[in-house]
Amino acid sequence: MDRRFIPAGVSRCSTAKFLLWLAPWAALLAFGLYSAGLCLVKGLNQTHMNNRFAFGLWIFLDLTVIALGAGAFFTGFLLYILKRKELRAVINSAVVIGLMCYGGAMAVLGVDVGQPLRAWFTFWYPNVHSMLTEVTFCISCYLTVLLIEYVPIVLKNRKLRQIPHFLVFQHELHKLVYVFAGVGTFLSFFHQGSLGGLYGVLRGRPFAFREELGIWPTTFFLFILSAAAVGPSFILLTTWLVQKISGKRLVRPQVLQSLGRISGLLLAAYVLLKTLDTLVWLNRTTPRSGFLPAQYYAWKPFGVWILAVEMALFLVPMVILLTPKLRARAGWLVSSAAMACCGVAVNRFVLTIQTLALPTLSFDRFLQYLPSWQETGTFLAVLAAAVLVYSISFRYFELFPEERELRREPSGRPETAPAMAGK
Amino acid sequence: MRNTRRNVLKFIGGAAAGAVLTPVPWRLITDTALLSENWPGVPRPLRGEVSARYTNCSVCNAGCAVRARCVGGQPVSLAGVKGHPLSRGGLCAVGVAAHQLPYCAGRLTQGPVEAAAGVIARAAANCNAATAGTPGAVCNPTESIAVLDLRPGRTASWTYRRAMGAVRNGLYLTAAGPFSGAAVDLSKTHTVLSLGAPVLDGWGTPGNVLATRANFRLIQAEAIESRTASLADLWLRIQPGSASALAMGIAAALKKGSVADGAAATGLTERQITDLAADLTQHGPALVLPGYDCPGAWALNQLTGGWGEAVVARREAPVPEQWKNCAPVTGLESVPDGSIRTLIIDESAPGDYVPWGAIRRKLVADNPVVIAFAWSPDGYRRHALLTVPTAVYPETLEDIPAAIDSPAPVFRLAAPLIAAPAGVVNPPEFVAKAVGIDATNALRERADAIRKAGRGVLITYADGRTRPVAQVTPEDFWKALNEGACWMDTESRRTAPPAMDLPVLDAQPFEHTRMSFAVLAETATAAAAPVSPLMTKLDRESNLRLGRSRAALHPETARSCGTADGRRAMLETALGKCPIEVVVDASVPPGVVQVAASPEVIDICGASARARVAPL
Amino acid sequence: MISERKPAKICRYGMAVDIDKCTGCGACMIACAVENNVPPGNPDATDLTGITWLRVFKVDNGEEYPRKESVYFPMMCQQCGVETPCYLVCPQQAVDVDPATGIVFQMPERCLGCRYCMAACPYHSRYFNWWDPKWPAGMEKTLNPDVAPRMRGVVEKCNYCHGRWHAARQRAAEAGETEISPGDYVPACVEACPAGAIQFGDLNDPTSAPAIAAKDPESFRLLVKLGTDPKVYYHSKREWARRIGDPSQAPSPKEPSRG
Repeated sequence: MDRRFIPAGVSRCSTAKFLLWLAPWAALLAFGLYSAGLCLVKGLNQTHMNNRFAFGLWIFLDLTVIALGAGAFFTGFLLYILKRKELRAVINSAVVIGLMCYGGAMAVLGVDVGQPLRAWFTFWYPNVHSMLTEVTFCISCYLTVLLIEYVPIVLKNRKLRQIPHFLVFQHELHKLVYVFAGVGTFLSFFHQGSLGGLYGVLRGRPFAFREELGIWPTTFFLFILSAAAVGPSFILLTTWLVQKISGKRLVRPQVLQSLGRISGLLLAAYVLLKTLDTLVWLNRTTPRSGFLPAQYYAWKPFGVWILAVEMALFLVPMVILLTPKLRARAGWLVSSAAMACCGVAVNRFVLTIQTLALPTLSFDRFLQYLPSWQETGTFLAVLAAAVLVYSISFRYFELFPEERELRREPSGRPETAPAMAGK
Repeated sequence: MRNTRRNVLKFIGGAAAGAVLTPVPWRLITDTALLSENWPGVPRPLRGEVSARYTNCSVCNAGCAVRARCVGGQPVSLAGVKGHPLSRGGLCAVGVAAHQLPYCAGRLTQGPVEAAAGVIARAAANCNAATAGTPGAVCNPTESIAVLDLRPGRTASWTYRRAMGAVRNGLYLTAAGPFSGAAVDLSKTHTVLSLGAPVLDGWGTPGNVLATRANFRLIQAEAIESRTASLADLWLRIQPGSASALAMGIAAALKKGSVADGAAATGLTERQITDLAADLTQHGPALVLPGYDCPGAWALNQLTGGWGEAVVARREAPVPEQWKNCAPVTGLESVPDGSIRTLIIDESAPGDYVPWGAIRRKLVADNPVVIAFAWSPDGYRRHALLTVPTAVYPETLEDIPAAIDSPAPVFRLAAPLIAAPAGVVNPPEFVAKAVGIDATNALRERADAIRKAGRGVLITYADGRTRPVAQVTPEDFWKALNEGACWMDTESRRTAPPAMDLPVLDAQPFEHTRMSFAVLAETATAAAAPVSPLMTKLDRESNLRLGRSRAALHPETARSCGTADGRRAMLETALGKCPIEVVVDASVPPGVVQVAASPEVIDICGASARARVAPL
Repeated sequence: MISERKPAKICRYGMAVDIDKCTGCGACMIACAVENNVPPGNPDATDLTGITWLRVFKVDNGEEYPRKESVYFPMMCQQCGVETPCYLVCPQQAVDVDPATGIVFQMPERCLGCRYCMAACPYHSRYFNWWDPKWPAGMEKTLNPDVAPRMRGVVEKCNYCHGRWHAARQRAAEAGETEISPGDYVPACVEACPAGAIQFGDLNDPTSAPAIAAKDPESFRLLVKLGTDPKVYYHSKREWARRIGDPSQAPSPKEPSRG
């Protein structure tokens, strides 16, 4: 029925099957929108956040998805600026993922603030001292960039391309892709960094506070590095997942391995710098604030184990991804990418939730926080929307340019993802 | 220009681009913020002339001097008056927000006024006319009509006495105990032993207690870590319910007898009790203050050297002579059981809450008539047949009896700052009128009697002056009282109160049983229940107070009762049950339920009781 | 904008709190709520979601009876003077530090409700309106006309009863003075305290109670090493109480007492 819209040279499942796939995600989206609607209409008392836990699930997941969505800018940077040609195979997919990650984060932020109608105040009365101003500006601009980068993907659709204006427009736009990639990289550098800076400047929270390099705390740079390291891993992971779910070969294995290697190299740099930073923080910054490092890990359930887990989740994938023999095996490759993504989630969790759980005053109590169903539902809406948009993009737009060639080639090495013909 | 689609589109595009260069869209953007600043239901504070008015707070007997900041005549905030000799500018948390009392949820404004007037009038007439066996008599010859005055010592109390004096078998009842008519002088004492009295938590006149605090060493003997216990110079943690036993032990020590029983019952060592007794005699004059569950311990002051010094008799402010032909003051406990047919309870002025069981016992078994005068739905309205709504501070014009720590007689009025709603009554005038007595000018008559006696001084708040009463005309005296002033008798001689018998007590050692021991907490604020809606700041929005309908348990006790922090549960005693919310607090002794006092709780617990906490 | 105006006389308003005198009566908390039109707590509010610009805590020395000692500890905005955390992090400048008074004040009309300032404040002195404020019928008549009520979704905090400062300035202007006289500007909590435990004054005035407390060796401030320069000086004769300001001296984790 919608064959005309599906790109030439690739096969997609029947419309009925597609709708069946979409149905549960649409239902989840509906539930999530209802949860978000409750929070907007009744107020943030629908969540389990409170005056001590001013940030909760939403901010933690926002930070995580923005780090994971960094694959969009970083892949663009690698492809268009550093000319890593093999990444052309995944750039479109990366842009869609990035768009959903950033769009979802912005949507959740709109629900997270107490006065969404005043969202424009940050642009109208910006505070040059505040990291959050920088985050708001850069993310808004970058979302615009991503939308602009998404437009050609849409316009290249088989039917839409038949409209001459669209064809010309996307062709002209493509000439500027280097500009957008550069702008995107610049903006991402700053917003990934300032997301880290959000916590690193908190003088009142010694658990998060870090020394300054220039005008930025070290978390500024560590966040950029971790995002750049994990972005490719997430692209790798999602590509593999899409291959598995659709049963098609979408990219050559070398592309995934290349992504893995880039991830591994950056993870190595990150682990080194993070270890250095942690040592300085524990031995110098913390005592200077009047706190003792042991106090950070004295409260159950956040013992020293959480620090160990965080480091392990970066160290282990780093080792695997830098070992060519292991990298070549899909199982190791994908699980180490997944571990790296979990590592970044733990890192953001520690800085968001653990920071707020820990006492600052000597008579504070340690607090616990569990999100309410409305909070969880709102975030599930983002997940559902992402899956829906990605599924539609995958079906109707050419997200993986290599798919057509791979379809013609016979299936090769046994370690690659199995091709189930004719789905 | 031709009317083509292209031209139209060009026009629109150009207009949009041009509009961006005008202030219009930028102004419209800022206007979106207005939507977020004016929300439905935004309250509009009053506008008007700002003025100060003075009154006295009638929420409790402290009667602290109050300066009200009024906007257009409506009080918007209250503060103490510095320089007042007793309250010294102090105003407690309840008093500071008391101007909001009229707006409490559930505040009574409607009730069966006509019916109540009819019932009282009929009951009085029947009592007067009753002879043995008269058919249809509402009141048998042996049955009485009574007024239970929960805040004795007011002019209203005299009105009730006059009213009941005009009725055959009319009784005027109080539950004040044997110590009414006496007061303590904190400035004359060097050691205070409080047997659970909340000395630093709403007892007496807070401003006075704090001003004299440096004079005396405070020893708090209490089972739970109350606010007073945590701030005292010495806290003796005794077994729950053993305050009377401690009093007996001290009495025994002072008489050089054996303190073994007292030690066993309280959990203290014999040495501690003898040292305590020695403390009281050597660092005197000493004062022993009973708590909620041991009123008889006042008598102990006769043995500690404070009788007549730290504990003195206090006369009432002068009263018109013609009033003195009235019903005597009768204690509720001394009334024979089952002898009251019609009971009128005046709950309009906050006072101690008497457990309903103690009152019910005195009523006839079949169809007693209970009429409650109240402004709050939480008290005796739950038990009364008819509840008549009354005004509440600061709507009322009433006088405030002297506080326990005011050795000099005082007279001060709570002046009405706002108008009472239509439909509420003035209880003493209402009762008096129903039995045929006109008491509408009672306060004026009282003021005139005080002025006529010529003793004492008038302290006015607006100008901070203190003048001998003899220099003030009766008109000015009445006017000053209505504008916030205080009369104080500075000339009375100090005398000792009448002698009291030491209560005989059967000291039982505390036993841990499967039942927990319910201990009442925050008894001072229970008397002033309910309170301004803002009091949630203290108990719900912070952890400063326990708060009504809550009980604190030690973690082990909570676990053994099958409940946890924040859960709802049922507090059960032999007298009944009431729902509570559980709070887990490691500072509560195991086996104890620390429950915030409130009418429902006092009904089932009395002063203290064995209780069970069952999860709901 | 206010911050750009050149002030005639620079005041640094601070407080001196004697925790040996505080009895935890809570009159200050209620007076603050009355003065600043803080709404009564929503029925679902807890001590973590309520609004108490001034909050009194019960702090003890970590011992058990009979060695247990407690103090009552009033906490309000410390009006940080240096590197004011909330001022630096607010993305739309809804927080301003007034150079004339040193008071850090919050503009609820500008606030987006992002709560970044609440994460930044180590003293937990900022409160968010989780619910729409509701006053029982008729109680809006008792609202203070000098203070605007806030709506749901914005942050608010103690501002040393700034409305009273304005009123004092007005009175001074009407009397032909350029500066307000000390004692004419008194926040609600200071006025309400029956024990006189909270004192207020200008730290630049050496005769004021906070200035004297600042020099007293028995005084301490909270979390001084964070470098925020708080302007509230607490005083106690007891050594264990003076260690309350030092988080590294906190008692080890145990089952907490309420408060």
